[in-house]
Amino acid sequence: MSPFAVRMESGIVDHELWRQWQAFATLLSSAGPAPQARPAHDGGFGFAPFIDAAERFTAAARTILDGAGSASARTADEAARTFSDFLREHFADFQMPWNAGLGAAGVQPAPMENSPAFGPTREHQQRWQRTAEAWRRIDDARRRLQRLWSDALSEAATAFAARLGPPPYAAAMSAEAARKLYDLWIECAEEAYARAAHGEAFCEALSEFVNASSQWRREVQASIEHSAKLLDLPTRSEINTLSHRLRSVEEQLRAASKTRKPRAPAGGAKRARRRVKR
Amino acid sequence: MTGAAFYAALAAASHCAAGCSQKEAVWQSDKLTLYRYRPIARPAGGGVPLLIVYALVNRPYMMDLQEDRSLIRGLLAEGLDVYLIDWGYPDGADRFTTLADYIDDYLVGCVDYILNTHRLNALNMLGVCQGGVLSLCFTALHPKRVRNLITMVTPVDFHSPADLLSKWVSKIDVAAWVGEGNVSGDALNQLFLSLMPFRLMHQKYVDLLAGSPDQDRIENFMRVEQWIFDSPDQAGAAFREFVLWFYQENRLVKNRLEIAGRKVDLHTVRLPLLNLIGKRDHLVPPAASAALQRLVGSDDYTVLEFDLGHIGMYVSARAQREVPAAIARWLAPR
Repeated sequence: MSPFAVRMESGIVDHELWRQWQAFATLLSSAGPAPQARPAHDGGFGFAPFIDAAERFTAAARTILDGAGSASARTADEAARTFSDFLREHFADFQMPWNAGLGAAGVQPAPMENSPAFGPTREHQQRWQRTAEAWRRIDDARRRLQRLWSDALSEAATAFAARLGPPPYAAAMSAEAARKLYDLWIECAEEAYARAAHGEAFCEALSEFVNASSQWRREVQASIEHSAKLLDLPTRSEINTLSHRLRSVEEQLRAASKTRKPRAPAGGAKRARRRVKR
Repeated sequence: MTGAAFYAALAAASHCAAGCSQKEAVWQSDKLTLYRYRPIARPAGGGVPLLIVYALVNRPYMMDLQEDRSLIRGLLAEGLDVYLIDWGYPDGADRFTTLADYIDDYLVGCVDYILNTHRLNALNMLGVCQGGVLSLCFTALHPKRVRNLITMVTPVDFHSPADLLSKWVSKIDVAAWVGEGNVSGDALNQLFLSLMPFRLMHQKYVDLLAGSPDQDRIENFMRVEQWIFDSPDQAGAAFREFVLWFYQENRLVKNRLEIAGRKVDLHTVRLPLLNLIGKRDHLVPPAASAALQRLVGSDDYTVLEFDLGHIGMYVSARAQREVPAAIARWLAPR
C-alpha cells in the first residue's frame, strides 16, 4: 500500500503534510525581501527561485492530497504519479550540462538534405552538411539525456513517496519537520540520479553530446575563419601557428642555454620570471 | 532578522574577500605567483619549509578562506613555514602550456627558489587534489628535492568504481573537446555541479535560507560560493593531457606515464608519505586516493581518513581542528 493511502486512512496526515510544506514555503518567503525592496536588476536571481520552488512544491502537494482525500476513485498510486509528474516538470529545465555550458550554443542550422556536393561551393556545402549533422547528433543526445533525467526524477518521486512512511512529526507542525521532508526528497533525487549517472546509457549519451558539440564547434569555427579570411582579418588558426613557432623558439633557446651552462638551475632557460622585490 | 535584512546581508556579503593570512609574493613566472606566508607562531618543523601545490582547476585561496576556515592558518599556528603556489588565470596565450611546463618548469622553478632561499637540498610538499598528482609526478622526477610528501584528497587510481567523472569522460574525444583552445572554467563548474545537482544547485541554497541568519555564516557561505564559481579556464594542452593520461588511460596506476620524456614511476617514490583522504569525497573517491599505498615504494607511508567531503577537507570546522595538527605531528619527527 502506498504511503499516500496510509496518510488518507489516518485522516490527519495529509493535512499535516500540506501544512508542513506550507510552513516551509512561508519560512523561505519570509527570508526574501518585499517585492518593492527587490532590486530591479536582480532579475529573479538570488534566492527567489528557491522560494518559488518551495511554493510550487507546496501547491503541488496540496493539490495531490486534496484530490486524493476527496475523490475516492483516485487511487494513491495515481496521486504518486501526479506528484512524480510535477517533480519531473519542475526539475526538467535544471541547468545540467546538456542544457547549457558544455554544448553548442547559437542558432540551429537550417536543415540540409544530404545532397551531393559539387562545383565551386562544394566545400561550403559539405561543411554546412557536417554542421547540420552535428546539430542533429547534439539534439538526439540531449533528448536521450533528458529522458534519463526524467526517468531518474520519476524514480526519485516514487522512492520519496515510499520512504515517507508514518509521519514522525508532532501535531504542531514545525519548520524542522518540513525541512526533513525536503531533505528526504533531495536524498531520494540524488540517489536516483546517481544510479542513472553511473549507468552506461547516461555515459554514452553524455559522451555523444560532448563529441557532437565538439564537431559542431569545429565546423562553425571553420566557417567563421573562412569569412575572416575574405576580409583579411587575423584568424585563431594563424595565431595558433605563431604561438607554436614561438614555443619552438623558446625550446631551442632553452636547449641552447643548457648546452652552454651544464649546471644551470633546474627548469632550464627561464620564462619571464623574477624574484619579487620586497 | 527580517526578510529584507537577510537579503541585504547577503548582498553585502557578496563582496567579502577571501583570504585572511598575511603573505607576500616572493617569486613569479608568467602568470604563476609563489607566496610565502608570514609566521604567527614559534618556528617548528626543523626549518624545512612546506610548499603547498594546489590544483589547476580552482583558486588556491580556499586554503586560507577566513580565520576560522583556513588550513594555512592552522599550519602557521603549528609553526610551519608555508609557501603556496598560485597558478594564476590562464588565457588564450597559455593554451599550449603542457603538464611538462607546469611540473618540470613552473614547479621546479618554485622549488628551486625555496631551496636556494633556505640553502636546503629538499623541502616538504603538500599536494592538494590535482595538485597532489602534480606533486607525485614532481617527486618521482626529482626525488632528491622533496623530503616529505603529503597528498590531500589526491586521485591516483582514476578508474575506481565510484569515480563518476572518470566514467563520464571515458568515451569523450578529449582532443576534439579541447581543440586548440582552453577549457572554460564555467563549463567545468557545470560538470562538477552536475555530479550532485540537487544538493549543489538546490539544497545548498535552501540550507542557507533556512539556517540562522547570522552575518558570519552568510559571509562564510559567500566566500565559498565565490571560490566555487571563480574557476580559471584551463590551459588546453595540459587539460587534454590530464584527462587523457590520468582519467582515460590511468597511466599512474599502469606505470605508463611520461612527463617531458621521462618516466614517472611511483615505485621510485621512497620518501615518507602522508596521504589524507576524505571518506565522503564525491569528487575523489576514497579508493582513488587509497591506491597510492600499493603504488609507491615508500616504507614510511601513513594514511589518515577523515569523515569529510572534498570541500569539507579544506574548510569544515572539523578539518580546522584536525588536519593541520595531524600534518604537523606527522612532520615533526621527520
